[in-house]
Amino acid sequence: MGNKIGRRRPVVDEKYTRPQGLYQHRDVDHKKLRKLILESKLAPCYPGDEESSLDLEECPICFLYYPSLNRSRCCMKGICTECFLQMKPPHSTRQTQCPFCKTSNYAVEYRGARSKEEKGLEQVEEQRVIEAQIRMQQQELQDEEERIQKRKDASSSSRIMAAEVEYHDTSNSLLSVPSLRYPAQSDGYIPSQGSFTVPARQPSHMRQSREDNFDMDLEDIMVMEAIWLSIQERGSQRNLACGHRLSGDCHDSHSIVRTEASPSGGLACAVAALAERQHMNRDSTFLAGSSAPVFSTSRQLSSLPVGDDRIVENYQSEKWPDVSSNCGRMIAREDGDWAMDHRSDLAEAGTSFAGSVVAMDAGAALSEGATMVAGHLPPESFEEQMMLAMAVSLAEARARTNPQGLTWM
Amino acid sequence: MTSSSAASRKALSKIACSRLQKELVEWEVNPPTGFKHKVTDNLQRWIIEVVGAPGTLYESEKYQLQVDFPEHYPMEAPQVIFLHPAPLHPHIYSNGHICLDILYDSWSPAMTVSSVCISILSMLSSSTAKQRPADNDRYVKNCRNGRSPKETRWWFHDDKV
Repeated sequence: MGNKIGRRRPVVDEKYTRPQGLYQHRDVDHKKLRKLILESKLAPCYPGDEESSLDLEECPICFLYYPSLNRSRCCMKGICTECFLQMKPPHSTRQTQCPFCKTSNYAVEYRGARSKEEKGLEQVEEQRVIEAQIRMQQQELQDEEERIQKRKDASSSSRIMAAEVEYHDTSNSLLSVPSLRYPAQSDGYIPSQGSFTVPARQPSHMRQSREDNFDMDLEDIMVMEAIWLSIQERGSQRNLACGHRLSGDCHDSHSIVRTEASPSGGLACAVAALAERQHMNRDSTFLAGSSAPVFSTSRQLSSLPVGDDRIVENYQSEKWPDVSSNCGRMIAREDGDWAMDHRSDLAEAGTSFAGSVVAMDAGAALSEGATMVAGHLPPESFEEQMMLAMAVSLAEARARTNPQGLTWM
Repeated sequence: MTSSSAASRKALSKIACSRLQKELVEWEVNPPTGFKHKVTDNLQRWIIEVVGAPGTLYESEKYQLQVDFPEHYPMEAPQVIFLHPAPLHPHIYSNGHICLDILYDSWSPAMTVSSVCISILSMLSSSTAKQRPADNDRYVKNCRNGRSPKETRWWFHDDKV
């Protein structure tokens, strides 16, 4: 109680040392919980916020937002203290598995609120997801076009159709940006051609509703173009670097997009540059340590069974590369010193996370992917980013204005 | 309704409610490919249409999933079954029960309706034969009193399909 003198840690308000009533906790040892929170071994029980904001992190279990979360020791995923307390069913003899990566001996540590660097890294990751989604859409579009092309070759009335298509493409290039065009395309002119049917309407419900909300007028588009141009000018040096990195990505990413060297390079640079300007006043270390930002998209559903989303998860383990240095605050469930009095024989100290391999089964991997997407597209930045992406695509579209507007080969 | 005792279910807890609302919003913005949530005012029971993925045995076939959420979702798994007629699949019984570990033992609160749907579609997609499980008749007979699949002791032996 009064013996905390000399400890350098922020004092936690007494009322946040007990559960806020998110769950009806059974078997919680409130005294131990309080002690762990005061010793910064568990995140304080702040009341979760319904709305997202820049400084808050979403707990992937309750979907509420908190100033800080605990981290899985195995995979670094965040979890709020109250959800964490739920993880071990009372009286269970089985070892608790990490809800995210299924590693047994689930335990968390608390490292306070995310640092600027960590937020920056997260931001970069979001960018990558968006970039990958855009690549995916381009691929969809390309597939679609290939199909049209085949159709064109096969069909006797091909000439009229082709003309229509071209006409549509050029006339609409200001209003429908190539990479975002898929929904309009399938709902719009394709049916009107009567004989043409889209064989497999697979992909892009994904973005569809977001696009639908995205009414644009000419002015917006011009503003976006201006933004893009200015970024392009300002960041020309920097772009060299990210352009390189990102085109590398393209190769890695299942070669989703074969033809995008220039488009996506420019796009990605612009997006990255924006992110840099917006969220970071720091050096460019965020670029390091990241290989293959592959976000395998929902396309995989049609062909690949499972497991592709795990790549996203791997970022997680890269995100806090310096974790191992911070073992002073680890919480392991040992010595009965645990809020719910679990006895588990977890007794490592100072384990290094840096090289930890995230092993998980397919189900978990899939869910990871899904939650990551859900959790990492905060609306504020999303809109901005889409604006930017559209601006870039516009510029591309313009550059591509040739008679064969549809084929990008 | 099929085989679930809707009447005896307890209402959703506050946290379950809030999480499901958020899942629903996210679903509306970003539904998993191949799925359509049938809008109702019942947050505790979702009816979801699934369309077989292109290039698979179930291509373009439409099925309906019924997802019932327990009071303590997501700490407890939702109950997920196919409504009649259930797809012919080595892990799907004719009463709609699905033998899929993440719906039972391997459920994790980090999963979502959306991720469960993706797993189910993936299970469908990887099937190489349209057939019922070998013990279908026996199992279905045992479930005649409307037993929930969550009460079944599942034996997950096949990780290929």
